[in-house]
Amino acid sequence: MSLLSMKSRKVKTNGPLDTNQLTKTQQLLKDKWLYVLLLPGIVYFVLFKYMPMWGVLMAFQDYSPFKGFWQSDWVGFDHFQYFFQNPDFFRLLRNTLILALYDLIFFFPAPIIIALMLNELRMQFFKRTIQTLVYVPHFMSWVIIASITYVFLTTSGGAVNAVVEYFTGEKINFLSSPDWFRPMIIGQVIWKETGWGTVIFLAALASVSPEQYEAAIMDGAGRFRRMWHVTLPALRSTIVILLILRLGNFLDQGFQQIFLMTNSLNRSVADVFDTYVYFVGITQGAFSYSTAVGLFKAIVGIILIYGADYLAKKLKQPGLF
Amino acid sequence: MKQKKKSIWMLLLTFIISALLIGCSDGETNTSDENNDNNQENTNDSEAEGNGEPTDISIMTASFTPEPPDESSPAWQAIEEFTNTNLDIEFVPNSNYDERFNITLASGELPDVILTGKTPSFINAVDDGAFWDLTDYVDEYENLGQMNDIVKNNISIDGRIYSLYRSRPLGRMAMSIRQDWLDNLGMEKPTTIEEFYDVMYAFTHDDPDGNGQDDTVGTIVSEYEGPWDIMQTWFGVPNKWGIDENGELYPHFQDPAYREALDFFKKMYDEGLVNEDFAVMDPAKWHDAFVNGKAGTIVDVADAASRNQDKMIDADPSLEGAVDLIGAVEGPNGLHNLPTTGYSMMFAISKTSVETEEELHKVLEFMDKMSTEEGQNLGFNGVEGRHYEIVDGVYTPTEDQGLVYEHEDLNQLLTFIPEERFLTAPLQEIEKKEEKVMKANEEIAVPNPAEPLVSEVYSRQGEQLDNIILDARIKYIVGQIDESGLDEAEELWMNSGGKEYIEEINQLYQEAQ
Repeated sequence: MSLLSMKSRKVKTNGPLDTNQLTKTQQLLKDKWLYVLLLPGIVYFVLFKYMPMWGVLMAFQDYSPFKGFWQSDWVGFDHFQYFFQNPDFFRLLRNTLILALYDLIFFFPAPIIIALMLNELRMQFFKRTIQTLVYVPHFMSWVIIASITYVFLTTSGGAVNAVVEYFTGEKINFLSSPDWFRPMIIGQVIWKETGWGTVIFLAALASVSPEQYEAAIMDGAGRFRRMWHVTLPALRSTIVILLILRLGNFLDQGFQQIFLMTNSLNRSVADVFDTYVYFVGITQGAFSYSTAVGLFKAIVGIILIYGADYLAKKLKQPGLF
Repeated sequence: MKQKKKSIWMLLLTFIISALLIGCSDGETNTSDENNDNNQENTNDSEAEGNGEPTDISIMTASFTPEPPDESSPAWQAIEEFTNTNLDIEFVPNSNYDERFNITLASGELPDVILTGKTPSFINAVDDGAFWDLTDYVDEYENLGQMNDIVKNNISIDGRIYSLYRSRPLGRMAMSIRQDWLDNLGMEKPTTIEEFYDVMYAFTHDDPDGNGQDDTVGTIVSEYEGPWDIMQTWFGVPNKWGIDENGELYPHFQDPAYREALDFFKKMYDEGLVNEDFAVMDPAKWHDAFVNGKAGTIVDVADAASRNQDKMIDADPSLEGAVDLIGAVEGPNGLHNLPTTGYSMMFAISKTSVETEEELHKVLEFMDKMSTEEGQNLGFNGVEGRHYEIVDGVYTPTEDQGLVYEHEDLNQLLTFIPEERFLTAPLQEIEKKEEKVMKANEEIAVPNPAEPLVSEVYSRQGEQLDNIILDARIKYIVGQIDESGLDEAEELWMNSGGKEYIEEINQLYQEAQ
């Protein structure tokens, strides 16, 4: 009630002349209740997001849990230097980048394709049923998906290998082969997240005016023409924004997933920054060093997101900022 | 207007107050819990009047049951009465104990006694002076003074001991074997590696269970690398570090016996004597294959034999006596067995919480008392008449799960120094064998000369270094790499910090001599 009435009051007083005449303080005072409303949100972000962020300073320390943050010795860029000189560094970088690229090439378009296909469906009941069904895998935990994968792909009695063996006469050791590791990971991601990924695209598609389609039909456009000239352009800005956001997480490989699928035989391709941070930081207690690795990853993420935003704007697309 | 303003205020207030409430609720419940604890302790105080004031001791240890005991447990109270203490025990689930240890360390509020592994964080904390050096104190105590020298050496840091270990059998690693399968095939228990190979071969190919199907393997292995470590020790591969003729330490994989062992493993794999999917098999399930009669041997720990046999008998009573135990089989240069470190985590005593020597003595006295027969009975068996009965001189534990939980985790307070003294049910045939095999294994144990040494390189990169070698071993066994691949892995190990590691260990070793 009160909010609504305030809004109407604002509209009344906010003439074009008014705003210029008010000083900054007056403006602040005028909307003071809105700012007070904002306060809990700000407190939340400062307290739980920005304050703990100072913890990354640990990366420049030789942190000892017993001495605590304030008493630990400062070591500057030692941890970073050590990390970049480590032979692990290039292996981790390579594995992470390749997985991220695969993810971008194979997983990113998948929800778009599914959304386009769903959009072409005429029967509402059928469309909604399919939509709900493709969401389901999103709610399964990686532990369950890892077990399912294991049951299907194992060489001793797995269903997939039974079929493969029937046709080729040989078994493929999907679970332990370094060559199959990346396809397996991407396959799992596609299976789990594609349906969920369609939500945003379907929402964007719902806003396309039917008139545009009707006009296209009048112009004699077939199904594919309509998709190409009406549906896809309508999705363009959504795709670009999601792509930029995705690039920000470019180096975040699902830790759980990779951790669960790693074994001695595929570790050479499976080790990524996230698993490395876990092994070094949590299991070996090298907190400072693993913080340095994590910080490096975060910085790369920021560079990527700004780079992508810049490129998008160059290409006359709406960016993120 | 005024009305509206008021309603906005109310709205805001509600928001803020609820936010505050939500934010604080966790903290508040905790503090009220603590208050309860204190109250209960106070009531215990007055009860436990006897020989002097009871000592307050706070302890953090691991728990394995879903419902660890609390102050209301009769066993807990009996321990307090026996040791004249007020205990404040915090049980932390074993699965995330290491994390909690680190967090507790960082919080600065250490309990008097804390369970820890010999982890880099613990060692760093010792360097920073967080824990008492117990070397000169323990000898005053009847039980704690009788620590095993090998284990004492293993837990030491720069030659000093900062903790009380929780004793476990050194010779625990052994192989379980299906005696009934051997009988079916008319074979003897293997005593050498060659015989072991023949038995595995027959177990795989000669239908040892007589069901007419080719559905058995010689031995079962999982993702857990233990069996390979145990088997390679039979070949004479040193336990992590070997000593050459100049008295220098070298990593175990540089020993010529290592390649010999790996060739044997590869042959096992190529001929299907071991399960094909071992590299990806869930370690939580590998014993099932032995229990279900899919595998004829399992190389793990001695006490698995009785556990597995019990399960087998549950399913098929005719399998009584089907499992036998072998400590080790003979390699090219004699009998060798891979020992455990002889302990499972240890208790350290905080210098910040236990400030004076007098207090330290009280804590050590408590730990010493817990090692007496009565202390171990209370900690391990619980209270007679509630948690167990003695029927005709035979120990009979309760089967009521609720009562078991009431005391079971209290056994996490015990060090079993110098030996296990709690009550046990009469041993089965197989359990007697387990004890015999473990005893015999101590004689042929291959100690790790570098066990007490604390390497900085290893604490930083141990996991990566170990993985290079462990992964190469598995890859070689399944044929992903050949001899040259092993060489490459060793080179990578050297370049990834292995060289520094060897140098550091040798230096530490010379200093310790």
